[in-house]
Amino acid sequence: MINLNINVNNKDFEISIEEDKRLIDLLRDDLKLTGVKEGCSEGECGACSVILDGKLVNSCLIMAFQINNSKILTIEGLGQGDDLNYIQKAFIEVGAVQCGYCTPGMILAAKAILDANQNPSRDEIREGISGNLCRCTGYEKIVDAVELAGRYLNGSEIYR
Amino acid sequence: MIKRGKGIAISYYGTGYGNGYPDVSNTKIKLNKEGKVEIFVGGTEVGQGAKTVFLQIAAETLNTSIDDIILFSEDTSIMPDAGTAAASRQTYNTGNAIKKACEELSIKLKLIAKEILNLNTTEGLIVSNSSIYLSFYEEKKVSFLDIAKYLGENLLIIESNFIAQTVEMDLETGQGAPYWPYTFSACEVEVEVNTLTGVVNILSAKFAQDTGKAVNPNMIEGQMDGGFCMGLGFSLFEDLNIINGRIKNDKLSKYLIPTSMDTVDIEKIIIEDPEFTGPYGAKGIGEPVTIPVAPAILNAIYDAINVRITDLPATPDKIVMAIKKDSKAEDKNGKID
Repeated sequence: MINLNINVNNKDFEISIEEDKRLIDLLRDDLKLTGVKEGCSEGECGACSVILDGKLVNSCLIMAFQINNSKILTIEGLGQGDDLNYIQKAFIEVGAVQCGYCTPGMILAAKAILDANQNPSRDEIREGISGNLCRCTGYEKIVDAVELAGRYLNGSEIYR
Repeated sequence: MIKRGKGIAISYYGTGYGNGYPDVSNTKIKLNKEGKVEIFVGGTEVGQGAKTVFLQIAAETLNTSIDDIILFSEDTSIMPDAGTAAASRQTYNTGNAIKKACEELSIKLKLIAKEILNLNTTEGLIVSNSSIYLSFYEEKKVSFLDIAKYLGENLLIIESNFIAQTVEMDLETGQGAPYWPYTFSACEVEVEVNTLTGVVNILSAKFAQDTGKAVNPNMIEGQMDGGFCMGLGFSLFEDLNIINGRIKNDKLSKYLIPTSMDTVDIEKIIIEDPEFTGPYGAKGIGEPVTIPVAPAILNAIYDAINVRITDLPATPDKIVMAIKKDSKAEDKNGKID
């Protein structure tokens, strides 16, 4: 067992874990953050994306022991219930969700894009979400939603 | 060398089970004690928007907001069977069942309203925003909640179904009309083919979809985007690689589906031509939005390199081989490109 000090969604945790535990299992099984989805388990699909110290990562490819003293953001940390983040609102407004399995990872990928650039071009958005697979939407409305979220962020469009 | 080509394809597709097979959607509607309408239906939401469309159709029929309707679906222990979320049939079949049930509910509610309001007949009664009133004398009004209180424990429950009209084909002649309704689609694609590497890039795409009445245009656009993307994967990337009955490409690192970098923004055209047997004219579009995509892409590849690819997916290796084979054939004939 290894002791970890981590900050998840702005809450500090001191947690004891097995050496062979993956980050995704720590988040889903121990912290019950089931918005982190397991898709391919091999870093192809991005459904398990989380933001680790400001960078978008696949939590299925990271061992839990690697993240001591790190800060992690999952979809639950952005917004829940009626209290939604501007990116989540943009996804709903545009209709960028179909089955929803890729959505938590997509929204975190969108956050990573917008944290770096408030006015991304459509090509930059397409590149930024290219590590997140979506089987339903054909991506176009997701690109629209990230553009809209960018407009919310830079204030050129107001959201309710 | 980079070569460009354009291709189009059109398709028509019969929705529902067809060919005389029983195609039934059942639904149950209840006026609960709070005066809200509860719909129980087994139609499954898989992201295509079934629940949204069911609520829209019910709200339209009952002339009220979707907020006044509670939809329960998918729990098979309490749901009447509405058939599979397949064959592009939920909007048409289950939508029709819900419309029919809501119409029957309206009739029953008007009869009860007539009793409560002490009227001669139900003529002139309007159902609107969870209440019923007399069109020319609005003081004669009763809310769904009043009706629920009046009924007490004796809850109003309507069970209804829609059976699609399908005709079995003549086994001897193969003639007949196995499906109804049909849905029409058209797709146009422009591609760029690298003749050295065999890589195909989609440059632009247009998709026109006949919808009957478009119940939810935004979600129809989403289906068109998704259908195009699946058709694109089917024609260029996706290969199960089945060897001796075993799927070799059994993970996403081997079975490749399109990423956001492989697709383009699609010019989408919704064509509304209401189908008289559909709920408010609506037809199913779930599968039709995929069908013409692969032939349009393959036609575009043919237009670009003048070689017909007949084995899917049209991967770079197959395209390079086909070009080489074709140029050898041309050499023998003494032709020069």
